[in-house]
Amino acid sequence: MPRLCEPAFSKYITKGELFMGKLSRIGFLLMLVLAMFLAACGSDESNGSASGGDSGGKEKKELRIVTDGAYAPMEYMEGGEVVGFGIDFTKAVVAEAGYEPNIEVIGWDPIFAEIEGKTADMAVSSITINDERKQTYDFSVPYYLSTNKILVPENSDVKSGADLKGKKIAVLNGSTGQEVAEKIVGENSRDILKFADNNLAIQELLAGGADAVIADNTIVEYYTKMNPDQNLKAVEDESFADEFYGVLFPKGSDLKPEIDKAINTVLDNGKYAEIYEKWFGSQPDVETLKAQQ
Amino acid sequence: MDFRFDLIRDYLPFFLEGTLYTIGVSLLGILFGTILGLVIGVGKMLKNKLLAFPFNLFITFFRGTPLFVQILLIHFGLIPLVIGETNAIVAGVVALTLNASAYIAEIFRAGIQSIDRGQMEAARSLGQTHLQAMRYVILPQAVKRMIPPLGNEFIVLLKDSSLLAVITVPELMYWGRAFQGQYYKIWEPYLTAALIYLILTLSMSFILDRIEKRLATE
Repeated sequence: MPRLCEPAFSKYITKGELFMGKLSRIGFLLMLVLAMFLAACGSDESNGSASGGDSGGKEKKELRIVTDGAYAPMEYMEGGEVVGFGIDFTKAVVAEAGYEPNIEVIGWDPIFAEIEGKTADMAVSSITINDERKQTYDFSVPYYLSTNKILVPENSDVKSGADLKGKKIAVLNGSTGQEVAEKIVGENSRDILKFADNNLAIQELLAGGADAVIADNTIVEYYTKMNPDQNLKAVEDESFADEFYGVLFPKGSDLKPEIDKAINTVLDNGKYAEIYEKWFGSQPDVETLKAQQ
Repeated sequence: MDFRFDLIRDYLPFFLEGTLYTIGVSLLGILFGTILGLVIGVGKMLKNKLLAFPFNLFITFFRGTPLFVQILLIHFGLIPLVIGETNAIVAGVVALTLNASAYIAEIFRAGIQSIDRGQMEAARSLGQTHLQAMRYVILPQAVKRMIPPLGNEFIVLLKDSSLLAVITVPELMYWGRAFQGQYYKIWEPYLTAALIYLILTLSMSFILDRIEKRLATE
């Protein structure tokens, strides 16, 4: 018995030692990677504060602006960069107000957490101004006119919102499209599928899991234009109310009056029309926007 | 900050429904995942490398890619391919099953291989066939050793089921997110969801503890 055990035991030791050697080598590599990662982060931060220091003399404060970034053509990612009508508009307004924009893509739901927690200065993300949101946040003056539309397959018999009763509707979670859907099929209805972004909602429609998507007209029209091969069409319903997008601020933000002033300047001096023309190829209805103020 | 208990109370039916779905998809995932995991674990141990290859590939894929990615692939890709349209609950159970089975396969393999060779040799020398030896000698000992890692895996699976919210499986996290989308509140829905998950995982580890104690021989 001892004879049987001994070789087995010594074998175990050698294996163990080998294993330990490997482990510590892996550990060392891990530490190295971690150290490099931390160094990279550190240098990033020091870059940021350095540039902050430079512009500090000129009183050009950097604003942390957050956006959803999955909302073409309003705010979306093109390669590694966030672009869109909302982004160009934000840059123009922030420059007008004398700030430096630092636009960060964080997704839709986190926007509300960051603004409520005041970890971001403002959010530009095609956010519709409504009374519910006004209870918790401040909004700028409206900067964009929008309405919800229904996206359905070309052969669908849906002609208005009322036709959607009893059908599965995919929406963006917490969007006004969801509110419209709730008015048709009821709040918390099982027929409403709430997705984390509009692309997933549209994907569900394409895959046959939903009969329609309700989203902002800009999205619906842009999507049908960009994907003609997918045989989708946009359906309008006059009863869906006009909506206005606003810049979102934390409640009681000091920034709001400054940005409001800058938005009005941009609306008046033609800069807004220029950006609008670039993205939508038509002239904006500035009168309706200003009438809402 | 005012914590709105009244909103939570209003939303309780949805949290309850979500909890039932969470338990449902998790139990189905555990059940099918264990069965499939056993098959794949045994498959990986096949002596013939060519026969073992698909099982190895399966484990490599499902253990090596994020569950989040697998969920989207299965929901928007695999399931419409098979049944012609999306079905969130089916996709959710399939995703959890496939993902868990890759881990469970390795747990089974580790359990079986941890039993000393001598046990098999002794059983065979007593005239038992390979299968008999497995059934009466190896597996009873191996299963006992597998309980703690399996318990771990089941708890992970239960928590991972929250990822299914992304494809609108109406489980706990889906309603948590819907709550947040409706009232624009952070603490209320997510703390409630966290508390419910904690209760679920605690109950599960309690049950597993009892099973472990019952199987203990000393």
